[in-house]
Amino acid sequence: MKNFWKRFYLVIVLLFLYLPIITLIVLSFNNTKTMGVWKGFTLKWYQEMLSSPQILNAFCNTLFIALIAAVVSTIVGTIACVGIMALSRRQRNTILQLTNIPLLNADIVTAVSLMLAFGLFGISLSLGTVIFAHITFCLPYVILNVLPKLRQSGTSTYEAALDLGASPVYAFMHVVLPDIMPGVFSGFLLAFTMSLDDFIITYFTRGAGINTISTLVYSQVKVGIRPTIFALSTVIFVIVLVVLLLSNFLPDKIAQKREEDAKKGIELTPEQRRKKKTLQRIGYGLMAAVIAVVSIFGGRYVGAMTGNGEVIYFYNYGDYIDPDLVTAFEMQTGIKVVMDTFDTNESMYPIVESGQVSYDVIVAGDYTVEKMIANKLLQPINYENIPNAANLEPSYMEILARTDPGNTYMIPYTWGTVGILYNKTMIPEGRITSWKDLWDPELAEYGILMQDSLRDTFMVAEMILGFDMNTSDPEELQQVVDLLIEQQPLVQAYENDAARDDLITEDAGIGMIYSGEYLYCLDENENLDYVIPEEGTNVWFDCFVIPANAKNVEGAEKFINFMLDAEAGLATFEYLTYPSPNSATMELIDEEIREDENVFPSQETLDKCDMYHYLGKEADQVLASYWKRFRGN
Amino acid sequence: MFKRKWLTAPYLAFILCGTVIPLIAILYYGFTDQEGSFTLENITAIADEEHAKALGLALLLALICTVVCLILAYPVGLILRKHASGKKGFVVFILILPMWMNFLLRTYAWKALLAGNGVLNNTLGGLGIGKLNIINTPAAIVLGMVYDFLPFMILPIYNVMVKIDNNLIEAAYDLGASKGKVLTKVLLPLSMPGIISGITMVFVPAVTTFVISQILGGGKIYLIGNIIEQEFTLNGNRQLGSGLSLVMMVFILISMALLNKFDKNGEGSII
Repeated sequence: MKNFWKRFYLVIVLLFLYLPIITLIVLSFNNTKTMGVWKGFTLKWYQEMLSSPQILNAFCNTLFIALIAAVVSTIVGTIACVGIMALSRRQRNTILQLTNIPLLNADIVTAVSLMLAFGLFGISLSLGTVIFAHITFCLPYVILNVLPKLRQSGTSTYEAALDLGASPVYAFMHVVLPDIMPGVFSGFLLAFTMSLDDFIITYFTRGAGINTISTLVYSQVKVGIRPTIFALSTVIFVIVLVVLLLSNFLPDKIAQKREEDAKKGIELTPEQRRKKKTLQRIGYGLMAAVIAVVSIFGGRYVGAMTGNGEVIYFYNYGDYIDPDLVTAFEMQTGIKVVMDTFDTNESMYPIVESGQVSYDVIVAGDYTVEKMIANKLLQPINYENIPNAANLEPSYMEILARTDPGNTYMIPYTWGTVGILYNKTMIPEGRITSWKDLWDPELAEYGILMQDSLRDTFMVAEMILGFDMNTSDPEELQQVVDLLIEQQPLVQAYENDAARDDLITEDAGIGMIYSGEYLYCLDENENLDYVIPEEGTNVWFDCFVIPANAKNVEGAEKFINFMLDAEAGLATFEYLTYPSPNSATMELIDEEIREDENVFPSQETLDKCDMYHYLGKEADQVLASYWKRFRGN
Repeated sequence: MFKRKWLTAPYLAFILCGTVIPLIAILYYGFTDQEGSFTLENITAIADEEHAKALGLALLLALICTVVCLILAYPVGLILRKHASGKKGFVVFILILPMWMNFLLRTYAWKALLAGNGVLNNTLGGLGIGKLNIINTPAAIVLGMVYDFLPFMILPIYNVMVKIDNNLIEAAYDLGASKGKVLTKVLLPLSMPGIISGITMVFVPAVTTFVISQILGGGKIYLIGNIIEQEFTLNGNRQLGSGLSLVMMVFILISMALLNKFDKNGEGSII
C-alpha cells in the first residue's frame, strides 16, 4: 500500500512534467490553428512544416548553433580542466568562481551584457555572436562535469603510462580520456541541451535573419503560434526520445551483463571481447555518421545563407505574409528571402535604430515610419523600379501623403481600422456601439480583451475622453491612464493578435481587434461581429520601407514590385484578410466582401477616423513613461 | 598531475571576453546617462513605484515557486533514493527529456491547458469539480515557474541522496531513531548541499524570468525581468535597463550569500 502511494506520487509528478508535452503533440495534429478547440485529425501542419523554409531554417540554425557550441565548449572545457588540475589551490578557486558566474547570473543579464559588449566593440550581431554567446554559457556545464571525474580518476595510471614510455599526449588520449569519458559525454549532452533550449541569450545576441526555434516561437507567441512549430517540436522530441532511449538502455544492458559476468567470475572470451569492440565501433561509427550528416547539412545551409546567391533580408510582423508568395518570388527572381519577424512596431524600432543589424525591406506601421523618416533611417523609394505602384488606390496614397509628403518613403501593404469584435450569442446584436462598452461591468463576465499596444490602447481611452489620439499632454495622458486603470479589473487579458484565438474559442466575449482579423474570425466562428465604435477610431497603414543601411536595394525594389501585383495582392488578402490598398486587387475580390462595411468602411465612417503621428522623441518618452505607469499598476 | 597550466588559456580567454568584459560593459552603461556622463539615476530608478513593485513581486513569486519546488522535489528524491539508486541514467534522462521540447512551447502549452475553455477546465467541468480560473493571474505564473524549474530542484537533491551511505541510516535505526528522526537528523543534513544547489538553480531563473510572466500573465503582470526586457527592446533605454539589471543582480547575490552560509563544502551540483 505504501509503495502504491509512492508510485502514485511519482506518476503525478511525471504527469505534471509531461502534460504540456502531450498537449503539444496532440495540437500538432489538430485541424485548426486556434488553440483549445479540437477540429479533427490532420497531417497538414507536418506538410506545411516540410515546405516552410522559415521553419526548416530555424531548425537547422538551432541544431547548428547547439552542435558547434557543445563541441567547442566540450573541447575547450576538457582541456581547461587538465590545466586547472595543475593550478595552485588559490588559482583554482579563483577560476572556479569565475566559472560559476554565468551559472549564477540571470540569463537576461548574461544576454544583455554580451549584447552591450558587442555593441561597445562595434561587432555587428550575426550567427557568430550567437555561437560565441552559447559557448560562453555552455562552458561551465562542461567544466563542472569533467573536473570531478578528472579528480576522481587520480594520477597514478597517467604516471604509470608515462613511466612505460608513453608521450603525455598519448597517455592523455589513451589512459586519462577513456576514464573521464562519462563526464565529458554528460558535459557535452548538457551543453547541447542547454543551448538547444535557450531563448533569452539568442534573442539578445542574434543578427538579421537568424532565427532559432525559440526566437521563432517567441515572435509568434503574441500572434498565435502556428501549429507547424508544434509539428516540428514533436518530430524533434520523438527523435531525441528514440536516440536517448537507445543510448541509455543499450550501454546499461551491456554493463549489467558485464557486471553479472564479473560476479560469476567469467572472464570475457576473446570472441566476446571482439564483439564488445565491434559494438563500440558501431557506436562510434553511428556518432560520427550523425555528426557528419549534420555538418554537411549545416554546411550546405550556411553556404546557402552566406554564399553566392542573392539575398534580401525582410523584417516583418509575425505571420504577416503568405509563405507561398515568398516561394513564388524566390522561384521567379532567384533571390532568396530571409525573413525575420517582430510583434509590435515598438519592439521593431530600436533594433532598426541600433544599426547592429541591417535589413533590406521592412514592413512597418505608418507612425513608426514617420519616426524612421524623422531619424533618417530610411531611403527614398525609386518608383521607376516599382511599376506596379500604379495599382495603388490614389485616395489612400493621398491620406498617406499627410504623413509622408509626396509618398517618398512608404508604399502601403495593408490597411485597416481598430474596432470591437464581440460574440452575438453572449451579447445581443447591436448592443455594442461605443468604446465605453469595454468598460461595462455587465460584459466583464464574458471576458473583455484589450490590446497590449501603447498607441492603440491609449487611443481607446482618448476617444472616450474626447481627446486627440495624438496627444502628448501630460494632464490628458494622466486622465487616460486613470481611465485604463479603472478598467483593469474588468479586463481578462492584454494581448495582441492572440486575442482572436480567445474570441474564436469563446474564452472571451468581446475585445478590441484590428479589422483584418474580423474575416478570419468569422470563418472560424460565425457568431462574431465587428463594430467600429461611434467615437471614431484609428486608421492605419502597414507599409513597405527600405532602410538607409539596406545592402540590396535592387532586390528590395523587386520584392516590393512583386507584392504590388494584382494577383499577389489577392493572395495577400486571402491569407491575411486585411483590406488591400491595391485597386487592381480590389477588382478581383468578391463583391459581397467588397461591400462589407466592416472590412471596407464607408467614407462617412472614415471621416470620423484619424491616423497616428510620430510626436517626437520627447513626447515618445512621455508616452512610454505613462504606459509604464499604467502597465506597472 | 599535469604540469600544463597554459592549457587553461583558451578557457580564460572565453571567460575574459564572454563574462568579464560584458559585465564591465553592463556596469559602464548602468552608471552613465544617455550622454555618457556618470550618474546614479539608473540605479536609484529602482525606487520608482513601478520598478520597486515589479522587483518585489518577482522576489515574492520566485520565493513561492522555490518553496513549492522544494516541497514537491524532496519526496521525489527520497523515493528515488530507495527505489532507483541504480538507475541514475534513466532518472536524469526522464527529467532532462522535457527540455528537448522548446521551453517557450512548453510554457505556451500551459496557456492552452489553463484557458477558461481549455483542456483542464473542460476535464474538471466534466468531472463536476468546477473551474480553475487561474490563467492571467500570479498563480498561473507560479505554476509555470514551478513547471519549468522543477527538474533543476529534483536533480541536485537526487544526486546527493543517492550518495548517502545506507549504513548511516541503518545505524541510526539501530540506535533507536524513529522514522521522523532519521529524516530530520540524518537525511536532511546530509542532503543539504543538494537542497542549496537546487534552491539556487530554481530561484535565480524564477526571479529574472520575463517570458513566463508574459505568456501566462496575460500581459497584466509585470515582473522585474519584463521591465528590463522592455527597456532594451521597446524603449531603447540601455542605460536604465543596465542599471536595473545591476540592482537585480545585487538582490540575487544577497540571497545567494545568505544561502551559502548553509553550504560550506559546495558539494551540491546538478550533475
